[in-house]
Amino acid sequence: MATAAIPRTGKMTMSLEPALLIPVIGAGILVYLAVLPLLMLFVGSFQAEVAPREFVYTLKNYHAAYASEYTYSTFLNSLIFASGSAGLSFILGTMLAWLTERTNTPLRSIFVPLAVVPLILPGVLESIAWIFLLSPKFGYLNVWLMSLFGLQSPPFNVFSLPGMIWVHSVGQVPLAFLLMVAAFKSMDPSLEESAMMSGANTWQTFRRVTLRLLMPTAGSVLLILFVRTLESFETPALIGIPARIYVYTSEIYLAFNEYPPDYGRGGALAVGLLLLSAVGVWLYTRATKEGKKFQTVTGKAFRPRQFDLGGWRWAGFGFLSGYFLFVVLLPFLVLFWASFLPFFAAPSWDAVSKLSLDNYRYLSGFRPFWDAMQNSIILSTLTATVAMVLTSLVAWIVYKSRLPGSWILDFLAFVPITIPGIVMGMALILLYVAFPIPIYGTIWVLLIAYVTRFIPYGMRAASGSILQIHSELEEAAAASGASWWESFKRVTLPLLRPGLAAGWIYICIVSFREFSTSVLLATGESRVLSILLFTMFEQGQVTVVAAIGVLMIATLLSIVAVFYKLTGKIGIQT
Amino acid sequence: MGFFAKNNRVAPGIFALLATVGLPALGLAQGLDELHKLALKEGGTLAFYATLAQVNAEKILPVFEKRFPGIKINHVDATSDKLVARAVTEARGGKTLADVLQVPLENVTQAHDQGLLLDTNLPEAAEYPAGLKGAYWTSSDLQYFVAAWNTNLVKKEEEPKTFDDFVHPRWKGRLIAEPRDLEMLLAFAKYKFKSDEKAIDYWKKVAANNVEFHKGHSQLAELLVAGQAAVCLTCYSHHYPSRIKKGAPVNYMLSEGVASINATAIFKGAPHPNTALLFARWVASQEGQKVMSQGGRNPAHPKVEPTEKTRTDKTYFITAADLKEFPKYDKIWKEIFKLR
Repeated sequence: MATAAIPRTGKMTMSLEPALLIPVIGAGILVYLAVLPLLMLFVGSFQAEVAPREFVYTLKNYHAAYASEYTYSTFLNSLIFASGSAGLSFILGTMLAWLTERTNTPLRSIFVPLAVVPLILPGVLESIAWIFLLSPKFGYLNVWLMSLFGLQSPPFNVFSLPGMIWVHSVGQVPLAFLLMVAAFKSMDPSLEESAMMSGANTWQTFRRVTLRLLMPTAGSVLLILFVRTLESFETPALIGIPARIYVYTSEIYLAFNEYPPDYGRGGALAVGLLLLSAVGVWLYTRATKEGKKFQTVTGKAFRPRQFDLGGWRWAGFGFLSGYFLFVVLLPFLVLFWASFLPFFAAPSWDAVSKLSLDNYRYLSGFRPFWDAMQNSIILSTLTATVAMVLTSLVAWIVYKSRLPGSWILDFLAFVPITIPGIVMGMALILLYVAFPIPIYGTIWVLLIAYVTRFIPYGMRAASGSILQIHSELEEAAAASGASWWESFKRVTLPLLRPGLAAGWIYICIVSFREFSTSVLLATGESRVLSILLFTMFEQGQVTVVAAIGVLMIATLLSIVAVFYKLTGKIGIQT
Repeated sequence: MGFFAKNNRVAPGIFALLATVGLPALGLAQGLDELHKLALKEGGTLAFYATLAQVNAEKILPVFEKRFPGIKINHVDATSDKLVARAVTEARGGKTLADVLQVPLENVTQAHDQGLLLDTNLPEAAEYPAGLKGAYWTSSDLQYFVAAWNTNLVKKEEEPKTFDDFVHPRWKGRLIAEPRDLEMLLAFAKYKFKSDEKAIDYWKKVAANNVEFHKGHSQLAELLVAGQAAVCLTCYSHHYPSRIKKGAPVNYMLSEGVASINATAIFKGAPHPNTALLFARWVASQEGQKVMSQGGRNPAHPKVEPTEKTRTDKTYFITAADLKEFPKYDKIWKEIFKLR
């Protein structure tokens, strides 16, 4: 496991002092987790298999990846998919955020938690639910609209680029919403007030002041949505591949999963995607840091003013309820309905007579389901625990120890955010399939993958809490004779607990729904729920898949309930 | 039919086997029960890479586990190319994690090309005709590609009688198929029309009806049930009896069809060699084949009959020798349907 490969630090005798040893160990672990796999990936992208298991170094993988007849269409599809999804989820998220935060739309406060609910719907299920709704032939919405208006052809086809954009966007709206809520909250209202005073009406103020104030934030939010779409694999797998619309992530997946597997080409594609994502994240951090420079940090506590929408506030209410009904509730409902069907069928009296608990009864005795459930629960709790322990140590070193070079740790802990899930999966296969310790094919590889991917989330939660602890508390402990470890255990850790708990739950949720890394790493006994869903959906057991989905959502909802109970608020940790 | 007379590969003898692997030293000569004892010493699990659909697997594998207590089958199921790709990846890292491979013969051959499979000569294979076994494989079952349709979308009077019906324009926009089923083209060219030109002409006319493609035969069946299309052109017959029993609105055509071989093989350096051998021998035995049949598959054993009506009246068999021509027909198939 992770600790097995801590590099030897040379002269160990010099420093048995934990305060010095720990940063070195921390850096070792981070290098091992985040840098080593990328190195393997990089090397692998220059290797070509000339005969079974005989490799030569070559550049031809890059040629195959970026100069083939499909290069252009893949690039174009990825670009349209990512910019379309970024744009659509941004528009929807901003509308929701503005209406709930800055207007007098009726009942707006109940829509805030509702807008975040889709965050717990795993991407795989989101795609499946929308296939049920928008499939050209049997999709409920299509069937219903066709019979309602006597249409000859289905109005929607989910198996298309617009379909992919829609499905991915609605899954990403909560993220856009949370980012924009934060932006609206921190906006100085005096500028808008001045506009109103000068005689501008609501619409003019919104357009000429609010929107312009939002521009810099909007740019960075769009960028992060773009990058996240580019990295995503749920929609490209479930909708893109059947529709033969390939993007970078699906090309990487197919390079590994079609015969003969072509790691070289897959590796070259993965390196490209990694670079794209790294550039995106770099631009994003730069933009958000620049933004802070221009912030007017005043002591006055301001409360953003509310726009009076007048009669339009009912239109706002209509939009919010429409969004909630069609985008949030409908996918849940369709999964719930399908989970009681013996086979997929449109709602009708005939279908109602066929409803039964058979799928759930079947699952109760279906071993792969329980194995996967067990794996998912073990993995998500272990990942959350390991990641939070690791990141609280790292955050402590970075922000409290004042050791030279601790910024390296900060940087290393940030690296994984640039690694797309599928790229991580691929890199870890290359690393662990030939690893002396036989963990390939077990859940331990998945644990390593998840911990690595979610370290940046843990850092966010841990560093936030650590910065709030004044060092005099630790100094007092030290003055009273406590050792470093005692002071960390008895002073720092208890103070950190609320922040760490929030981080723990968040990582637990994202690990539970993780798909794009697991899809390459989970096999046989190490299969997790999201992968079981995917395989069974591919095998056509769609109604059983719906039942698994319902149980999965129920599990996630109970995690969220614990989260609410512990923190009493919704936060943003991306 | 010529099917049983094809493949005349000489199976390597037991000495060759011993010399090359030094493995289940006694395994082949023993009875299954003695082999069971050896298998238990290996830890009691079997890593089984197989496309066996869940609906079949849950009826077949527990019977094995009950017959040989203490052995648990870890069934890794995925589409056949994914399974082979996975085994190749593992071999790349110098690992063999899988014991037994059970996929269409085409994919078994791919794994063999990568040097992953063990030459075996199971005593049980002696009862099989030459076309249903090879140096490194024994047929586990046969699958029949047939046409199936949704009874809500196909009126009684327009139900297809033979494959020739599908060139009619009334099927335009109503057909689905699996993108990788080039077997259909090959079998039609070699055994139905006995002419490449006629077969290509036939499938071009079908292609003019805008066939929609979806990967995975189980998913095709489910899409057909849901009404995604009126007719599935390349579906497996064994997918339908159970669905019809559940009340799904589907039916299928047994007047003619294409049969292809699913085969069992053992991995070289399998982590549980005796367990692998035990399973391979059991599944090839008359006893195992009966269980396959009761589990909804088409047994390959000449003395075992399928439980459900899944064999076609007129059958075009894809033989092991035909595999060599797959690349040629694959290319034409993709051109006809503009597949990638």
